[in-house]
Amino acid sequence: MGSSYDEVKNALDVPSEFVFIILLPMLAFPLILYLGMKFNGQKFWKENLKEGGLVALPVMAASLVLSLVLIRRFINETNVSDTSTVFSWANFAWFTEGASTEISFYSLNFGLYVDHVTIMLLFVASFLCLLINIFSIGYMNTDEINDNKNHRFYAEFVLFCSGMLGMVLSDSFLWLFIFWELMGLCSYLLIGFYYDKPSAAYAAKKAFLTTRVGDVFLVIGLAMLWNLFQPYASGGDALAFATVFDHTNLQMLADAGKQGALQLALGFMFIGAVGKSAQFPLHVWLPDAMEGPTPVSALIHAATMVNAGLYLVARMFPIFGDSAMMGEFSDLAFIIALVGGITACMAALIAFVQMDLKKVLAYSTMSQLAYIFTGLGAALWLANSLDWGEYPNKGIVVVAFGAALFHLFNHAMAKGMLFMASGSVIHEMHHAHHDLHHHHDDDHHDDHGDDHHDDHFDAQSMANMGGLASRLPITATAMFVGSASIIGIPLIGGFWSKEGIIANTWRVAVEHDPRFYIPAFLVLITAGMTGFYMSRMWFMTFAGKPKTEVAEKVHEQTPWIPIPLLVLIPMSLAGIIFASLKSTYFLGYKGYKLGEDGLFEGFLYEMDHIFVNPGTNYLLVLTYIAIFLSMVLGPCAAMALHGGRLDDGQKAKPWMQWAVSLSGKLNDKYSFAGWAEKMSESSLGEALRQRLYFDKYYDMAMMKIVAGFSNLSASFDKNVIDGFAIKTIIEKGGQDSSRIIRSITTGSARDYIMMVAVGTLAIAILLWGVN
Amino acid sequence: MLVSGLSAILFVMGLWGAFTRKNAIIVLMCLELMLNAANLQFVAAGVYHGDTAGWIYTVFAIAIAAAEVAIGLAILLSVFNQHETIRLDDINLLRN
Repeated sequence: MGSSYDEVKNALDVPSEFVFIILLPMLAFPLILYLGMKFNGQKFWKENLKEGGLVALPVMAASLVLSLVLIRRFINETNVSDTSTVFSWANFAWFTEGASTEISFYSLNFGLYVDHVTIMLLFVASFLCLLINIFSIGYMNTDEINDNKNHRFYAEFVLFCSGMLGMVLSDSFLWLFIFWELMGLCSYLLIGFYYDKPSAAYAAKKAFLTTRVGDVFLVIGLAMLWNLFQPYASGGDALAFATVFDHTNLQMLADAGKQGALQLALGFMFIGAVGKSAQFPLHVWLPDAMEGPTPVSALIHAATMVNAGLYLVARMFPIFGDSAMMGEFSDLAFIIALVGGITACMAALIAFVQMDLKKVLAYSTMSQLAYIFTGLGAALWLANSLDWGEYPNKGIVVVAFGAALFHLFNHAMAKGMLFMASGSVIHEMHHAHHDLHHHHDDDHHDDHGDDHHDDHFDAQSMANMGGLASRLPITATAMFVGSASIIGIPLIGGFWSKEGIIANTWRVAVEHDPRFYIPAFLVLITAGMTGFYMSRMWFMTFAGKPKTEVAEKVHEQTPWIPIPLLVLIPMSLAGIIFASLKSTYFLGYKGYKLGEDGLFEGFLYEMDHIFVNPGTNYLLVLTYIAIFLSMVLGPCAAMALHGGRLDDGQKAKPWMQWAVSLSGKLNDKYSFAGWAEKMSESSLGEALRQRLYFDKYYDMAMMKIVAGFSNLSASFDKNVIDGFAIKTIIEKGGQDSSRIIRSITTGSARDYIMMVAVGTLAIAILLWGVN
Repeated sequence: MLVSGLSAILFVMGLWGAFTRKNAIIVLMCLELMLNAANLQFVAAGVYHGDTAGWIYTVFAIAIAAAEVAIGLAILLSVFNQHETIRLDDINLLRN
C-alpha cells in the first residue's frame, strides 16, 4: 500500500546533554527548599533573591534556551520531505521522527524522544514556565500573606516544570506516566498552597482525587498495552514509543487479531487523559482548582498540565495512523470527539453565569481543551480510516492533526496570558482595597492576601469591577487580545486553528462518518457561545462605570507583572505568523520556511485557503457561519447586556476605546434588562450557577458509597478488631501469660544459679541421649 | 581415674556451696572451686591422652580465673557500697 505513517520515520540523535532541560529544574527543587529553610526571613533572601524566585528564574531560562537549541537542531537536522497539502485551514504538516538517546538508570532506560508533537509542547511548556516565573515574582512576593512561604511555592513550581518537560520529552509511556504523576502531585501541592484555608485544602483534595480516578484507568490501559507489546519488546521496555509505534509490531498484533484489545487499552488511556484535561465527566476539579494562587492557575490549570491529556492522545497518533490498524479505531476516535464536543458546549454554558473572574477562565479552559479533543478525534479518525497513499489523504490528515495541535499552542499562549492578566486585575484590586481600608479597618489584616475571599470584599468577583480599561491599560490590552484569540476573531491567533478544528470535524461528519455530526454541531455553536462569555467577561471587568469604590482606585503599580503580558500579547496575536511559517518550527516540514517562502506569501496563502477556496463549498459556508457566531452574535449580545461607557474623563487606549464606546451604544439601545433577569432566574440559570449539578450529585454518590463503606469498616474495626481481637486475645491473654512468667523471676541470685545448673544438666543429658 | 573422681567431688562441693551459702564471698570461692575442678579435669584428661594441650589450657584457665576473681570482687565491693550488705538474699533488685 505504501501509505502508512511508518515510512516517514527519521532518526535524529539527541545528545544526552539535553536531559538537563528536565534535570535543572528537578535539581533546583531541593536547592530552593533548602535555601528557603536556611535563610527564611533574612533580608538578602527576601530582597535580592525574592525568596527563591530569582533562583528559579535562571534555571527556567536555561531550560528554555536548551529547549530552543534542541528545537533548532531538530528542525535543521531532520530530513523531512514535503507533503502534499492541497487543502489547508491552518497549514500545519505533521511528521514524526523517532530519536532517543539512552541514559541508563539501573535497568530502566530513560530516553528523550523528539518529534513534532514534542517540540510544539516543549516550546509551550518551557516558554510559559519562564514567563509565569517572572509573573510570580511580581504576584507572590508583593503580598504579605505569602511572606516566608514563597520558597515553598517556587520549589513546587520548579518541580512541576521539571515534570511537564520530562513528560513531553520522555520516550516511553512508562516515563510519561511517571512525570504525569509528578505533575499531579505538584498540582495538588500548589492548589493547596494556602492549606490553612479549608476551601483550598478541599479543592486540592478534590483535584487530586478526581484526576486519580482517571489515572487508575490510565494505569489499566498501560498495563494492557504492556501486555500486548511485551512479546515484541525483546526484553526492553514494552511501553517505549519505539516499540509501540513500530509498524512490524503493530502488524503482528493485527495478524494475531488483537485490534480490539489495543483499542480498549487506548480507550482506558484516554480516560486518564479525560481526568487530567478536565473533560466531561471528570471535569469537576478544574474550577475549584482556582483556589490556588493565580500563577498556579495560569501555569498548571490553563497552559501546561491540562495539556498533558491532549499530549497523551496526540501521542497515540502513530498507532492510529499505522496501516496495520487501518479502520480499526474509528469508534474510539468518535468517542474522543464526542467527549470533546459535550465538554466544549457544557463548559461554555456554565461560563455564561460565572461571576468569579478566574472561574470564567477555568470554564473557558475546559471548553477550549474540549475543542482540541474534538479536533484530535477528527484527526485520529481520518488518520485511522483513510488510505494515506491516495492523494490527497495524507495532506488532509496532517492538516487536521496540525489544526488541533496548533489550537493547543494558541490556547496555551492566550489562556496563560489571560490568567496572568486576571491575576494582575485581582492583585491591583486587592491593593486598592488595602489602601482604601487600611486606616480605619485595622482588624482585617488577614483579608489582604491574594485569592483570599473575605466577608466584605471579593476581589475576584466581576460584580465589584467595571471600568478598569482606562485604569489598567496593559492588563486590559492583554485581556482584549487574549479574549479575541480565544473567541477566534478573524486573523488573530486562535482563529486559524479553531476554524481548522470545526472544519475538519464537519469534514469527517459530511464525507465519512455521520456520527460526527453531534460533536461537529456542538463545536460550531460553542464558537458563538465562546464569543459571548469571553466578551461578557471583558466588558463586565473593563467597560462601564466602576461598580465599587475600590475599582475606582485601581491602577497598575506592581513591578514584574506586565513583562510576561507584554511578551505574550504579540505571541497571541501572531498566530498567523506561525501559520504562515508553514509550521516549520512547530509541526512542519521543510520547503515552506521563512525566507524561502516569505511571510507575506504565507499570509496570502492562508487567507486564500480560508476565505476563498476551502476546497468544498459547505466548508466555506461553515467558515462564515462560525465567524458570524463568534465575532458578531456572541460579542454583540455580551456588549448589549454587560457593556457600557467609561466614566466621564476616563479614556481607554484607542484599540479598546472603540469597543467600549460601541458597547455603550449597544447597551443604551438594547439592554435586554428584563429578559436577562428572567433568564437568570429561570431554572436553567440556576442549574448553570450550580454547575449543572455535577458537583452535587458526585458528592451525593460519594457520600452514599464512600460513607457507607466507611461506616461498615468503622463498625468492623470497633466490634471485631477492638472488641474481640484486641480485648480478648491480646489484652487478656497478654496479661495472664505475663503473670505466669513473672512468678519465676525471684531476683535471688541463687535461684538463677539453680536454673543455670538445672538447665545445663538438662542440656548435658539431652546431648548424651542424642549421642 | 582417681584424679577425675577428685575433680568431680570438688565440682559438686562447689556447686553445693554456691546453692546454699548466703555470703557472696563464699559463693565466689565456691565458683572458684568449680573452676579448679574443671582445671583438674583438664590435667587428668591430658595425662590420660598423653597430650600436653590439657596442661596448657589449664595455665590459661588459671590466668583467666584470676581476672574473673578480680572482677567478681570489684562487683561485690560496688554492691556493698550501694546496699551495705553482701548477703545474697537481700539483693534481689531483678525481681519483677
